[in-house]
Amino acid sequence: MIRISKRRGQDIAYGAIGIAAFLGLWEYIGVNQLAGLTWPPLTAVLAFLFDPSRQTLFVRATSASFSMVGAGYVAGGVLGIVLAAVAHLVSPLKEGLGRLSSVIHSIPSIALAPLFIVLLSKEWSGMAIATLNVYFILFIATQSGLAAATRAHHDVFTVLGSNRFTRLIRLEAPAALPAIVSGLKYAVPAAFIGAIIGEWFGATRGLGLLMVSAMQNFQIPLLWSAVLITSAGSLMSFGLMSLVERFVYARYR
Amino acid sequence: MSGGTSILLDHVGKDFEMDDGRKVVAVEDVRLEIGAGEFVALIGPSGCGKSTLLRMLAALEQPSRGRVTVDGEAPEELSRNHRLGVAFQDHALLPWLSVEANVELPFRIASRAVDHARIAELIALVGLKGFEKARPSQLSGGMRQRVSIARALVLRPDVLLLDEPFGALDAVTRRQMNLELQRIWQEQHISTLLVTHSVDEALFLSDRVVVMSGRPGNILKEVSVPFGRPRDPEVMRSGEFHRLEDELTEALEQPGVAA
Repeated sequence: MIRISKRRGQDIAYGAIGIAAFLGLWEYIGVNQLAGLTWPPLTAVLAFLFDPSRQTLFVRATSASFSMVGAGYVAGGVLGIVLAAVAHLVSPLKEGLGRLSSVIHSIPSIALAPLFIVLLSKEWSGMAIATLNVYFILFIATQSGLAAATRAHHDVFTVLGSNRFTRLIRLEAPAALPAIVSGLKYAVPAAFIGAIIGEWFGATRGLGLLMVSAMQNFQIPLLWSAVLITSAGSLMSFGLMSLVERFVYARYR
Repeated sequence: MSGGTSILLDHVGKDFEMDDGRKVVAVEDVRLEIGAGEFVALIGPSGCGKSTLLRMLAALEQPSRGRVTVDGEAPEELSRNHRLGVAFQDHALLPWLSVEANVELPFRIASRAVDHARIAELIALVGLKGFEKARPSQLSGGMRQRVSIARALVLRPDVLLLDEPFGALDAVTRRQMNLELQRIWQEQHISTLLVTHSVDEALFLSDRVVVMSGRPGNILKEVSVPFGRPRDPEVMRSGEFHRLEDELTEALEQPGVAA
C-alpha cells in the first residue's frame, strides 16, 4: 500500500497545477500570437515534433546529443569524485587541485569551446564541455562530502585503531554519499548545457546543431522542438536523480 | 582476555592555546592509577578537564606534561592493537548502518573475521534482541547508547572508556542504564574509566570515585566505594550511600571547584 501524506499530496497537486498553468499559458500566448511569430503554440510544436516524416531526423539528433551528454556526465563524474578523493588523501595536493578546478570553472565554457574544437575535434567538444561542467560540480560536492563525517565519528575510528584506508572506505566515503548524490543531481542540467553549447560550435550532428541551423533558417517549430527535447531529457534525468537523492537522504538521516 | 591491564596517568597536564595566544591550563597536575580490572569514576564540574583526561587515555589528545601509560605502553599502542573500547555522550553510531553492522564495525576496523556469535551475544546482553536490523534513527536515545556500549565491548577490550555515556538521557532511563551497565561489566571486569556529572551514578558503578577541581583541573579527593558486587539498586537507599553521596557533593561544592 502506498501511503501519501497530506503534505506530499498537496505538493504533488501544486506541482501539477503549476505545470498545467505553464503549458496552458504557453499555448495561449502562441495561439493569440502575443509574443509574435517566434512563439508557436505548444500544440503546433508537438505536431511538428511527432510528424512521422521527421522521426529519423529527431531520433538521430537526440541520440547523438544524449550520448554526448551521457559520456560527459560519466567522465566528469568519475574525474570529479576520483580527484576529490585524491585531494582529500594527499594533503599537499588539496589546495592546488581545488584552485585549479576553480580557475577552470571560472572561464566561461563559451570561451573554451573554440579551444576544444582546435585541440580535440568538432565531434567531441560537446562531450568535453559537459565533462568539464560536471567535473567541477562533483569535485566540490565530493570534497565537502568527504569532510562531512563528524568529529565524534572520527574519534571512534581513531580509538578503535583504524588505518587511513578503512577510515576512507567505512566512514568518509559513506558520509560523503548524500553530498555526492546531490552533486550528481545538479550536474544533470550542467551536462546538457555543456553538450548543447559544444554542438553549437560546428558539430555535424545533434540537437545543438539543429538549434543553430533552425535559428539561422527561421524554422521556428524546428527550433522549439529541439529545445523541447533537450529540456524534457534534462528535466526527466533531474527528476530521476531527485528520487535517488530522496532515497539516500532517508537512509542517512 | 582482560584482567591484567593497569593504567597510569603520571603527573599529566594539558594546556590549550586560545585564539589570542593566551594559554589556558585545562589540567594542571594529575596523578591517577587505575588497577587491573578496576572501575574508576571521575567526577567534577564542567570544564574541569575530566573529559580531557579521558581523551588523553584514548589517544585522542597528547598531554602537555607528564606521561600516560597502559601496562607501560602509550595509549596509541593500545588503540593500534584494537584493545580500547569507548562510548561517548554522543553515541556516534554510523546512521547508515544497522544496529548489527554498527556493532560489527570494530571487527571491520581491526580487519578481523566478524564473530557473529559474539555480536548476537552482545546485542542480547544490552537488551536489543529483535532490533538487529533497525537503524539508529529508529531507536530511542537509551537504545542508541546501549548499541554504542555494545560496540565498545565487542572486541573484549582491555580498557573501557566511558565519557558521560548517559549524560543526555532522562533520570529514569539513566538509572536503568546504570543497572544494565553494571550487569554487563560484571561479566568481564575490564579496567574502566567513567567520566560523569552524576554523583550517584559514580557511586553505584565504580570501585573508586575521584573528584576533580574546577579549572585548572586537579584531583581534590578520592573515595573508595565499600559496596560489594553485584550491587542491588537497594544500595542507593542505604545510609552509607547517602553519607558518601553527601561527602562527594560537598567536595564538589568547595570554593575551589566553582567553574
